Amino acid sequence: MGSSWFTFNLGDFSYAFLSVLLEGVPFLILGTLLSGLIDEFLPSRLMLRFLPRSRFWGVCAGAGLGLIFPMCECGIVPVIRRLIGKGLPISHAMAYMLAAPIVNPLVAVSTFAAFRGQGAVEFTILRLSLGYAVAVAVSLAISGLPMARILRPRLIASLGETHDHDGPHALPVRRRLTSAMHSGVRDFLDVLLYFILGVAIASVFSTAVNQKIILPFASNDWLAVATMMGLAGILALCSTSDAFIAATFVAFPAAAKLAFLVFGPMMDLKLIFIYSSVFRKRFVLGLAAGLFVLIGLICVRLASTGL
Amino acid sequence: MNVIASGLRTPIVLLTWGVVLGYFCITNRIASYLHPSFHALTWVSAAVLILLAVATALLPEKSCTHDDCHHHHGGGWLSTLVLIVPLIAATTLSPSEFGIAAVQNRGTVQDMSQLPAFVPRADDGRAKIQLVDLLYATAEPSMREDFENRNIEIVGQFLPARTGNPDGDRFEIVRMFVMCCAADARPVSVAVQSDRPADFPAMTWLKVTGRATFPFENGRRTALVVADSVTEVEAPAETFIY
Repeated sequence: MGSSWFTFNLGDFSYAFLSVLLEGVPFLILGTLLSGLIDEFLPSRLMLRFLPRSRFWGVCAGAGLGLIFPMCECGIVPVIRRLIGKGLPISHAMAYMLAAPIVNPLVAVSTFAAFRGQGAVEFTILRLSLGYAVAVAVSLAISGLPMARILRPRLIASLGETHDHDGPHALPVRRRLTSAMHSGVRDFLDVLLYFILGVAIASVFSTAVNQKIILPFASNDWLAVATMMGLAGILALCSTSDAFIAATFVAFPAAAKLAFLVFGPMMDLKLIFIYSSVFRKRFVLGLAAGLFVLIGLICVRLASTGL
Repeated sequence: MNVIASGLRTPIVLLTWGVVLGYFCITNRIASYLHPSFHALTWVSAAVLILLAVATALLPEKSCTHDDCHHHHGGGWLSTLVLIVPLIAATTLSPSEFGIAAVQNRGTVQDMSQLPAFVPRADDGRAKIQLVDLLYATAEPSMREDFENRNIEIVGQFLPARTGNPDGDRFEIVRMFVMCCAADARPVSVAVQSDRPADFPAMTWLKVTGRATFPFENGRRTALVVADSVTEVEAPAETFIY
């Protein structure tokens, strides 16, 4: 039974599917409630006033925001959707979205714990630094693209509708809270739909594919890095726990594990679906390919230096 | 009528999710899915979802009257079904533990180098030890001294030995080592040697009592339990080890 590369079992699938839903939904709720409050209570001009005027520094600041406002990859999408709606440049939001699931204190602690005895300090610093650098590079690269090539038409159309309720004509707080609740619930159901589809596909792969088939690829740097990134995409793990899984792949070089830990929180099967609630499908696929190539090349280069 | 029905879709979805999450918490089925540190979050989420269901039912969102409205007022019945049916179906179908196919696909960890680094634990004098302790003991001399040739009792699931069983008197006993949820569960196993044939269905829960030994096999130190008795038991309340 175990020798086949693909063995689907409905019970295993249901179990993995439910466990990811149960783990992820609280963070989706948190993210969408926050998005509702942002929609109703964060004035656009206040947010824009505090943003660095330079595009470069704005992206750098966005990529570091996870240190102050840590968010996981599931909860962050509704938040950045709302921030974009409020006028935050897409490149800044993209930097926050890609970096925050890696560049945050929880992930630093879990990575350190998982790699204790395997150069934990260096590995943790490398993971956070590479996550930050890739998020900044990708965000700067997309900053020149027209909005219509990035965002879904529905979101572009709704950009003009965002309205601030502060000032002398502010609505009563109770009505604003009700409005925030409706915004949050809309976001929750919207993202939940994509989350369910993504988790379902990821659960098929994480339970049915025999992971031993990847072991022969461990001895070649190029194949090892690509394989570990592919695995991260398929397993769709939470960024706070993925380091513990990466650490178990002892046959693979450290650079391949690093690729797993940087690529996974930025792009996986469930995220492809969740991102599709904000971005155009073609853009999401392009982003996936770009991240795969960029992180892959950096990690292969690191592997050649002996990492 | 259609307006009422479409207005009810959101509360129905929220209520379904809230009730299902609440069901997992109340029945403690959640213990088979998530690390204990996530349980409180699930309780809170269930309460929030039920409150939101009530609030959205009592305070429905006003319909937009303007033609250029681009708000998204929830999907149709198809998306409502996608939001509800897989959750209920999986809740009904899930056995709350992995079967042998998933365990074999993930591959069992039999070497402490594949586990997070050993963290010393206080000696509370327990006779029951976790399976993972035996793996740590293979690399930690002080733990090995504590366990070597001592009578121990471990609980885990039966897995037929696939390798390292020349005399046909060994099997593996496996537990799921979890960091966050079952999706990141890693099967951890040790070998058991038994005089009596162990002929259980795969993944049967067993209690093994016997002696802990740490022989050198194939050039590395391994954990091997020499069993005095092997008995079938009910699954423990907490099937994971952390």
